[in-house]
Amino acid sequence: MTLPFILNGEDVSARIRSVDRLSDVLRSDFGLLGLQSDCRCGSCGRCLILLDGRLVPSCIIPAFRIRGREVVTIEGFAQTDEYQDIVAGFRSAGVENCGFCDASKILSTAALLERRARPTNAEILEQLSSAPCRCTDPEALLRGVLAAADRRSRRIYRRAR
Amino acid sequence: MLVSEIHYPRDLLELLDLMRRLPGALLYAGGTEILRQQAGRGVSLPAEVICIYGLPELRKASLSERYLDVGAAVTLAEVLELAGSALPSLLADALRGIGTPALRNLATLGGNLASRDRFMDAWPALACLDALVELRDSGGATWINVNRLRGEDGRPAFPEGGLLTRVRIPLERWDALALRKVGGRDYPGPDTAVFALAARAEKGILAAFRLAFAGQVALRLQEVETRILGRSLPLSEREHRAFSEEYREAAADLPEGLAVQFGALVDGALRLLAR
Repeated sequence: MTLPFILNGEDVSARIRSVDRLSDVLRSDFGLLGLQSDCRCGSCGRCLILLDGRLVPSCIIPAFRIRGREVVTIEGFAQTDEYQDIVAGFRSAGVENCGFCDASKILSTAALLERRARPTNAEILEQLSSAPCRCTDPEALLRGVLAAADRRSRRIYRRAR
Repeated sequence: MLVSEIHYPRDLLELLDLMRRLPGALLYAGGTEILRQQAGRGVSLPAEVICIYGLPELRKASLSERYLDVGAAVTLAEVLELAGSALPSLLADALRGIGTPALRNLATLGGNLASRDRFMDAWPALACLDALVELRDSGGATWINVNRLRGEDGRPAFPEGGLLTRVRIPLERWDALALRKVGGRDYPGPDTAVFALAARAEKGILAAFRLAFAGQVALRLQEVETRILGRSLPLSEREHRAFSEEYREAAADLPEGLAVQFGALVDGALRLLAR
């Protein structure tokens, strides 16, 4: 079947079968290799995407379920100002670069800051539990997300003025 | 691997018509439980699948003074957000304990209740809150108590061919609420379950007492609850022992580890009332 949807801001369509997982379609049909499809049960966090602005594990979504909906992967999100805020915030707080979880941490943070401009520590740790990894000290992650939140707020404030 | 035919009804009427024409079709909303159990490359589904996630009638929620009504395809994350402080904390605790935030953005309240293999996390809390579910078929709509989703053998008894459209959660004052997830780490495994308790006192008398425990099977001893009601608080040591024993006997068929944990939780709950 043909599946129309919005991918990283563009109207696209893909030829899919009902058995296809979204993570596999994004990787194989669109070459979006920033996400992995490792556990296939939604727990490792390596396949996170934003679906209609919500953080979801794409490995447990059958592709047919996203007809007409909007998908953002790390490749698309990397083109945004929000991405720059998060990367700069993480860097300033000493958050380690990690090939395993970077994309998931960034998208998790993006989804959180979209809902909560100034999240609490508990909200941050809860949100980042979607992207489990031992690469970074949780304290540094907390500082990184809060630094990203500050940068984001300042940028939005400057733009509003 | 079987390739399924996917149907996308535009509204509830179209969905009910499809369900009548395709009685074996799988209703697919969040799908987290269905896909979590499939680790292979492809997804294995029945020949006919009806995608119900986007149906507007199933995505609504409304709040009145006495009830919170939640559409069956509202996600767990949305339930936690939309209700704010109106959401009974017992249910909020149950929903927050499910998976990660990313999973809760997919999983729906209806899917959590409609599981036929075992009881999922929301059932014990909703059973204690005496929630109702609206079931529809082409003949119309029926409201039933969520407790009736449990068969006489204690196993899930979600009606075949039924469509869960809404969950109605009563908003009441509670003096004691408790929720515990027990068992192994591999949730939802065979030796895992959720314990929920809701109690209310009025002028020193126990006015409401509900206790539910559910995993592969569900325990809710409504006849014992009825006998506890109306007793003066604190419960005497004799009352405490007698009721505790009744619950332990009812849990005798549970896996040993779960029975022990259930006994300890009941004991703790009754001890709370004995203070």
